[in-house]
Amino acid sequence: MENHKFSLSIRNVSKTYRNGVQALNNVSLEIPCGMYGLLGPNGAGKSTLMRTLATLQEPDEGEIFLGDIDVWKQKDEVRQMLGYLPQEFGLYPKARAEDLLDYFAVLKGITSRASRKEVVEALLKQTNLWEKRKQKLGGFSGGMKQRFGVAVALLGNPKLMIVDEPTAGLDPAERVRFLNLLSELGENSVVILSTHIVEDVSELCTRMAIIDKGQILQEAEPLMAVERLQGRVWRRVVEKNVLQELEREHKVISTKLLGGQTVAHIFSLENPGSEFEQVQPDLEDVYFTTMAGYSQKRVLQQKGEVRL
Amino acid sequence: MIFWKIFCSEFAYQTGRISTWLYLLVLLVFAIGMKLIIGTGDGVYPNNTFHITAMTVIGVLIWLVIGASVAGEAAARDVQMRMHPLIYTSPVTKLKYLGGKFFAAYAVNALIILVLPLGVMLSFYLPDMDFMSGSDILQSMEEKLLPFRPAAYLNVYFLIALPAVFVATALQFTFAVLSRQVMTSYIASFLLAVFAQIIAVSAAKLFGNWDLIKVLDPVGISGILGSEMSTWTVSEKNTRLIKLEGIFLWNRILWLCIAVGLLWHTIVRFSFTNPVTKSWWNRFKRRSKIQTESAAETGIIRITAISIPQVPQSFDFATHFRQSITIAWSSFKIIAKHPLGLTLVGIMAMVSAILGFLIITESGIPILPTTQNVLSFYTASVNSIGSPWVVITLLIMFFVGELVWYERDRGLSDIADATPAPDWVLLFGKFLGLVLIIVIWMGFLMIGGLLMQLLLGAEKLEIILYLKMLFGLQLVDYLLFALLAFVIHIVINQKPIGFLVVLLVFCFMAFPLQFGVEHSMLIYGAEPGWWYTDMRGFGPTLWPWLWFKAYWIVWAFLLTVAAKLFWTRGREKGLKHRLQRAKHRFTGTTRWMAIIGIVILFGLGSFIFYNTNVLNDYKTKSEITEWQAEYERRYGQYRNTPQPKLMATKLQVELYPEWQQAEIRAAYTLINKKTVAIDSIHIGTSSGIEFTKVNFDRPIASVLIDKEFSHHIYILKQPLKPGETLKLNFIVQYKQQGFQHRGTKPLVVKNGTYFTNYDLLPRIGYQHSREIGDAALRRKHQLAARPAIPSLYDGEARKKSFSTDQTTFEAIIGTAKDEIAVAPGALQRTWTERERSYFHYKTDGPIGGEYRILSADYAVKEIKWNGVDINIYYHPGHVLNIDRMLQSAKSSLEYFTEQFGPYPFGYLTLVEGAGNTSGASADAGIIYYGEQYALMNPDDSTSGFDLPYYIMAHEIAHQWWGIARLEPAYVEGAGTLIEGLSVYSGMQVLEEAYGDSHLQKYVDFLHSSYAIPRSLASASLLQANEPFLYYKKGGLAMHALSEYIGKEKVNGALRSLLHKHDTRELPLPTTLDLYQELKQVTPDSLNYLLKDLFMKNTYWRLKTEQISAEQTTAGNWEVTMKVEAEKFVVDATGTEEKVLMNDWLEIGIYEEGQSMKKPLYLNMHQIKSGDQIIKLTTPRKPSYGGIDPNYLMIDVRIEDNIKYLKG
Repeated sequence: MENHKFSLSIRNVSKTYRNGVQALNNVSLEIPCGMYGLLGPNGAGKSTLMRTLATLQEPDEGEIFLGDIDVWKQKDEVRQMLGYLPQEFGLYPKARAEDLLDYFAVLKGITSRASRKEVVEALLKQTNLWEKRKQKLGGFSGGMKQRFGVAVALLGNPKLMIVDEPTAGLDPAERVRFLNLLSELGENSVVILSTHIVEDVSELCTRMAIIDKGQILQEAEPLMAVERLQGRVWRRVVEKNVLQELEREHKVISTKLLGGQTVAHIFSLENPGSEFEQVQPDLEDVYFTTMAGYSQKRVLQQKGEVRL
Repeated sequence: MIFWKIFCSEFAYQTGRISTWLYLLVLLVFAIGMKLIIGTGDGVYPNNTFHITAMTVIGVLIWLVIGASVAGEAAARDVQMRMHPLIYTSPVTKLKYLGGKFFAAYAVNALIILVLPLGVMLSFYLPDMDFMSGSDILQSMEEKLLPFRPAAYLNVYFLIALPAVFVATALQFTFAVLSRQVMTSYIASFLLAVFAQIIAVSAAKLFGNWDLIKVLDPVGISGILGSEMSTWTVSEKNTRLIKLEGIFLWNRILWLCIAVGLLWHTIVRFSFTNPVTKSWWNRFKRRSKIQTESAAETGIIRITAISIPQVPQSFDFATHFRQSITIAWSSFKIIAKHPLGLTLVGIMAMVSAILGFLIITESGIPILPTTQNVLSFYTASVNSIGSPWVVITLLIMFFVGELVWYERDRGLSDIADATPAPDWVLLFGKFLGLVLIIVIWMGFLMIGGLLMQLLLGAEKLEIILYLKMLFGLQLVDYLLFALLAFVIHIVINQKPIGFLVVLLVFCFMAFPLQFGVEHSMLIYGAEPGWWYTDMRGFGPTLWPWLWFKAYWIVWAFLLTVAAKLFWTRGREKGLKHRLQRAKHRFTGTTRWMAIIGIVILFGLGSFIFYNTNVLNDYKTKSEITEWQAEYERRYGQYRNTPQPKLMATKLQVELYPEWQQAEIRAAYTLINKKTVAIDSIHIGTSSGIEFTKVNFDRPIASVLIDKEFSHHIYILKQPLKPGETLKLNFIVQYKQQGFQHRGTKPLVVKNGTYFTNYDLLPRIGYQHSREIGDAALRRKHQLAARPAIPSLYDGEARKKSFSTDQTTFEAIIGTAKDEIAVAPGALQRTWTERERSYFHYKTDGPIGGEYRILSADYAVKEIKWNGVDINIYYHPGHVLNIDRMLQSAKSSLEYFTEQFGPYPFGYLTLVEGAGNTSGASADAGIIYYGEQYALMNPDDSTSGFDLPYYIMAHEIAHQWWGIARLEPAYVEGAGTLIEGLSVYSGMQVLEEAYGDSHLQKYVDFLHSSYAIPRSLASASLLQANEPFLYYKKGGLAMHALSEYIGKEKVNGALRSLLHKHDTRELPLPTTLDLYQELKQVTPDSLNYLLKDLFMKNTYWRLKTEQISAEQTTAGNWEVTMKVEAEKFVVDATGTEEKVLMNDWLEIGIYEEGQSMKKPLYLNMHQIKSGDQIIKLTTPRKPSYGGIDPNYLMIDVRIEDNIKYLKG
């Protein structure tokens, strides 16, 4: 059990909410052991997918397997191996940090008092909350709350770790520490990290998927994806007023303001002209290219569709 | 402008919520539905103002309980939704922000409440919805409506509903704003709905001033409905409206001030700062200025190797158990830390203990604080809304909701739901936490009870009894209810709707009859009821209790299974998903448990049904009425068929208390006292009691036995000629078979056998008592209208006596070896035979038609008075009042013999009848008193009031008035002769023993029943038709007369009355004869008084406006008084007529420090209507004085009769 490596397989999962919003549309993913990044804009369906993986929401169609465990039929087994940090959560304002963590430790099946004490102490120290352990959770700042949530998720060495937008609200130091923590966990577990921050993925994840409007737009290893864009991203500094013209003529993937001028990245298989210079693509370019619909996968899939 | 914007957006938000419309719907259904349930009395139109007002008041209460979230949402939603930073930083002032929110909430509530008058109005004009005609709905379609009066609806809306809603909204809003939680608004509602009522009622009781309720009650349940409107007469019910005047005006002003004060307080306390986590209670006290400590973190990144220790996890049953305990403990702490969690029940238990001297009383007299007495206060059934302990039920409702929604309300549910604890652990743990709380509450009640007993000086504390009642009987009931509430919340899965449904279910449990459900198997948690008395213990009540509770526990178990199936864990709330999941979850053990549960339920249910409906006869209320109606339709033709009278009764009774069984062999001697021959004998038997081996001593031509209606007709071959007698022998077999769905009267039980002949033995003739009495019900069943009691002026009726028979009585009673059987008559002999004890009783003469037979392990004390053997049979533990009772009996015999004539029997038996009654009753030569009576512990010092002494004297007076002596005709006023004269006689014995002051206490006691809100409309004493008139007014009138003309004269008149009517021959005495005798001894100048007291329903309004005194030069004091007097006559329908008076009334002046019994001046003055000045002189300095200072007249406001001098 200890060294057995799980992988998570998501097969044709779809989910439509009662208000008609299609949150997941035929999503299929194979997620091996290690850190897996789920990248997408707000409202892309990340959280729905994460909740579905965390046994909290039922898909309309499709199935999910963790190793050979059917997530939706053997919820209890999944939960025994699950660590989940929701995107949004509250805490009992009147409870003390160590008490609530201890409470969750019991719920996670750590019954021995001594082990609980040990693990609670270790986690509070890891999340830098040891000093605040006697404080009421109601007085916690956003970052402290987030770290407390991480501590809860880490209880019981989860084999499947689902963290939904975990770095929001963390300061840079906390963020680094947390991501380090996750990647260590990823050595033996499946860690799924949903985020809209490209750096989170680029720094840590061995694999990633880009999701939008409930669909997986691209699934790849970050390095490979960047590799594939090699030579196809071009850059030009323009005045604001020519931006519209540029968008008409080229496949603009992103524009940024830099010192009063606009830096535009475009996607082009061949040299678009002398005013453009080729750039070394990064994961952000991958993301924007995919989101803009110029990645091959999207192009192939959605041929003939009218882009809005 | 900003105010208006805030108002509009809040109003729009609230009206867009489903729950707002749901509240509206509930109230609408209530307003319309009550029309179907409530019937109107005689002469009251369906759309009477009483109904409109009452429904509005009750509707407001319902709104108060369910609708608090409107104000709560308006006040605290922004904070709870964490939207407050956006608003707090905007340039809006507190006043405008809170004002806009408050008025929006008030407007929404006003809109919701508007459906009450609208719904009530609709209910009158909607097409007939008489779909419930199968049940007892007193509604007849021919009833016409009064003309449509918009003013009535506007009046109740603007004067009753809107102000109450304003007060409630203000309080709810204040609570929610200051606590920053929506749900605390419900606590505000709770305080108003329950606490304010309890405080108002207790204040009124404590100070004896019923106007206090009207001032203090904000909602109007006890203030408007309970006191003001309960005095309304028929014509007032039709048209009267509550006016904004007098006490009601003060009530509105008081509460409006409170509401405005609260709002002001809120605005001052509120601040646009980020909420700080502190005890919410603190926020009521002072504004917290502490800011959240911002956690300063070091920016140094220490990249440390992750070192989370590997600890063992386990997921076996032991773990699950451990998890349940952890959740239970955490849930327990949640409730325990809640401001209402432990404090409320604890404080109430302790305050009750301290106020025990007010609580443990009977008719205002302290009773011994036995465990049973104290516990009967502390144990109220779950659904009794009249008891203060209904707060426990309400708290359970509240906390169940809080617990079920705890994680979700705080946004922690995703994390908790994703933990590996099984579903049942999460549910069971929470329930267990609540169980712990309830156990602690029971512990508080127990401590309260013990403390109360200690404070009152109880002799022994029966801990075991506490444990049995609180932790056995009561706990199970509370837990069953808690579990139901749990399941409802889980299945409904919508917090406010869950609360609403639990509340509706509670309403159903509290008023099942109103919903047409009667069988205890259909009312969740119900059982036939249990009781405990010192003599009988729990009697036979525990077995049925156990069966029923087992049945409900299995139900609860199945509900739990349902809850587990439908529990929403995670985010999936859709019905389709939940059904799917339930199907998915319904496998393996769950399925087996459900199947086993259903099988057990079926078994238990069948067993209970077998007991209640097969072994025993089950009839619904409407079936019983139908049975009564059918009986009258079938046998009413024999109503006036001449029947013989019972002349002698000989019984051989075998009691088997252990088996709840009895066999009675009876020999009746019947005599034809009519002037015509009798050809058939009608016998009505007690239903369900076997009546066999019927044998007449003359041939019978034919027999008709109607088992269904327990009516037997025997046609005699040869008619029974006038004066001839007939012997009838039969055997009655009685055995309590199993148990019934409702508590049954225990007849033959261990150490507490107590039954009357009407319970078991047959009666001769058509049974009038089975007829339906209620006029409206009679109409509904198409039975001819008849007066409740025949008119005093009905010549035919006056030939029938109050008691149908006058029989001699002889009985041999066998009972268990360790018990003593008691019956009327002198004890002839006792012996033991076949391990059983036998007792032979025989009376000296006829004893009327009713008698009782008792058996218990009695102690006996015997004394003699003038050749009369006085025996008292009592429970050995109840010895406090033995000597008091014997003394009272002796003095009474002596006094009554001297005043009214000899006592007719050579014996007098006093016997304690098992059962918690505080009264006593009398048959010929025997007095039965209840167990509570035996525990009365009156203050018998001169300043005290020995009520039990009086009660015994009253019962002994019945040996002269009623029963076997003065036997009145069965017409109006008969009660005045029987009870009125006994009250008067008893009062004199009390006076003989204790003097004026105890007597005056009794007069005050009689007056106090006038102070309790009641309608002034009633019959005269001569035509009295209700107990209030017989006892209370009868006593006051006789007492007043004796004070005016002297008691010797009154007693002489009574003696003469008895002397003329002692033979039980026609003509039978009526109140007219009493009036005649009294008139004989009353001087002409006081004839008016006799008329006012007896012939009319007269009230006086007597008031001392001013009193002053000046010392004269001679050293005397000249007193000047201004008094106001009025007299009015009220007829039976409530029409008041002011009459001119010129009456003799006492004027009394008193000294400081001297009792009322030593007046400086006390004389009769002739007082006319209106204001007048009276001047008189007293020898010494007066302190106080007034008109009618001894309260001889019928005056509903006696407190203004006396006034103190200034200075």
